[in-house]
Amino acid sequence: MPHLAVEDISVYYPGQQRPALTRASTYVKSGEFVVLVGRSGCGKTTLLNVVAGLLKPTDGRVRIDGETITGPSADRALVFQNDALFPWLNARENVAFALKLRGVSRKDRGEMADRLLGLVKLDGFGDKQIWQLSGGMRQRVGLARALAAQPAFLLMDEPLGALDALTRERMQTLLLDIWAQSKVGALMVTHGIDEALLLATRIVVLAPGPGRIIREIETGFGRRYVEGETVRSIKADPAFALARADIEDSIFEGETV
Amino acid sequence: MTLSVETQRDIAELRGEPAASPGRRTKAGHLWSTRSISLGTIALFFIAWTLVAYFRLVSPVFLPSPLAVLWKFYTVATSGFVDATLWQHLSASLLRVFAALFFSLLVAIPVGIAIGISRIGRGIFDPILEFLRPIPPLAYLPLVIIWFGIGEPSKILVIAIAMLAPIAISTASGVRGVSHDRINAAKTLGASNIQLVLNVILPSATPSILTGLRIALGTGWTTLVAAELVAATRGLGFMIQSAAQFLVTDVVIMGIFTIAIIAFILEVGLRRLERWLVPWSGRE
Repeated sequence: MPHLAVEDISVYYPGQQRPALTRASTYVKSGEFVVLVGRSGCGKTTLLNVVAGLLKPTDGRVRIDGETITGPSADRALVFQNDALFPWLNARENVAFALKLRGVSRKDRGEMADRLLGLVKLDGFGDKQIWQLSGGMRQRVGLARALAAQPAFLLMDEPLGALDALTRERMQTLLLDIWAQSKVGALMVTHGIDEALLLATRIVVLAPGPGRIIREIETGFGRRYVEGETVRSIKADPAFALARADIEDSIFEGETV
Repeated sequence: MTLSVETQRDIAELRGEPAASPGRRTKAGHLWSTRSISLGTIALFFIAWTLVAYFRLVSPVFLPSPLAVLWKFYTVATSGFVDATLWQHLSASLLRVFAALFFSLLVAIPVGIAIGISRIGRGIFDPILEFLRPIPPLAYLPLVIIWFGIGEPSKILVIAIAMLAPIAISTASGVRGVSHDRINAAKTLGASNIQLVLNVILPSATPSILTGLRIALGTGWTTLVAAELVAATRGLGFMIQSAAQFLVTDVVIMGIFTIAIIAFILEVGLRRLERWLVPWSGRE
């Protein structure tokens, strides 16, 4: 079972006095769904980029099963807020691109890509051009592409941030379904507290100035959905509202609003 | 002319307005569409030309009538001028331009990519391009002839040098404009640097490269006449030049129109190519 450890990460951006992130430590195990929340400027996206290997930390290291990472790799595929798909390829080819990088033979790619598109409920959309798809569909293609890399850890940077509320709700349950099936360790950044509560097995709260981790909370609402409870009844549970108030308190601690 | 009309129509369509059709009142309330005004301008030009020629306001030696020019199209196409038919002149010129384009692309695209992705590449190639860019081809033509003789390679080389800068610069700006998310996405999917260049950066920069190619073709086509001034036996530039020496004005004008028509056809062809190669451009 792969174990991703974030150890004492500090990040200073050039030309800035205060660190974007200071001495952040946490971990993600496979089968976990860890969500980073916090106000803007708290360094949550910075932390995600460090884990992805796209940003070298000034201090500290990220280790997977004890091995320090040196850069981006397919075992930590990243899903972006703006899908970052390749518009010169159709939906199937976008997914197949990740398969190609993984070394899947040309003749197997099409079939596997279609199966992955089916997993994100896009059966029959393989031939569609990217610009013909809606925002939610594009995001799902992006998700299928990331899954095609067979990552041990699925990293997501506000993947549902650009979607409308209704699409977002459907995407949340889709994410849970896929996470439950694939057994990946998920690490996601969001600014939606409800979203964090619904999806996470553990919520990591960050605070700005300087960016740092201030709290970690184990939650179980996502697991309850996976075990068959409806989103509606989960959200109606008073425990959900209590947890939300608790997290809001942490996020806005010290603020006089 | 028609092309600028097309652009305006595209903008109108983007705004959700239907394309203006000539004759009828357009959506914006204009009696004349831009296209019909352009057609009117062209018609007026030809009528004025015909009248001037008809009443001999200018000697036919200097300004032959439109009909005489049209007739030249036919005679040069069938029996030729200075030992070659119009088609032979034309194909000689086209061959030079496209050969030059081919070699220029071969050099300029990798150079543009190097400038776009690497500090070292930019350091090496930027001064060379900035040196070449402002020099008119006629200025380095003599040097190229001194070095490489008066044969075909010299002509192609002169045109190719003229095409180099626009393609390389457009490629570089296209490469620099590639979205970081797209590059990072490919990196986290496990792409190597070479895969990144071939599968992400190059396709992303294609619209920009095509723009450079379009500018380059324009430059190449104008450099052509200069390149054909020296020791050519065929080509549109050569044809016009020799006709001018013998004051065969109708052939000169006919040659000018041929060049204009070909440039127009190339432009339309490039637009087609663009629509076919990068249908996604501007739709993201």
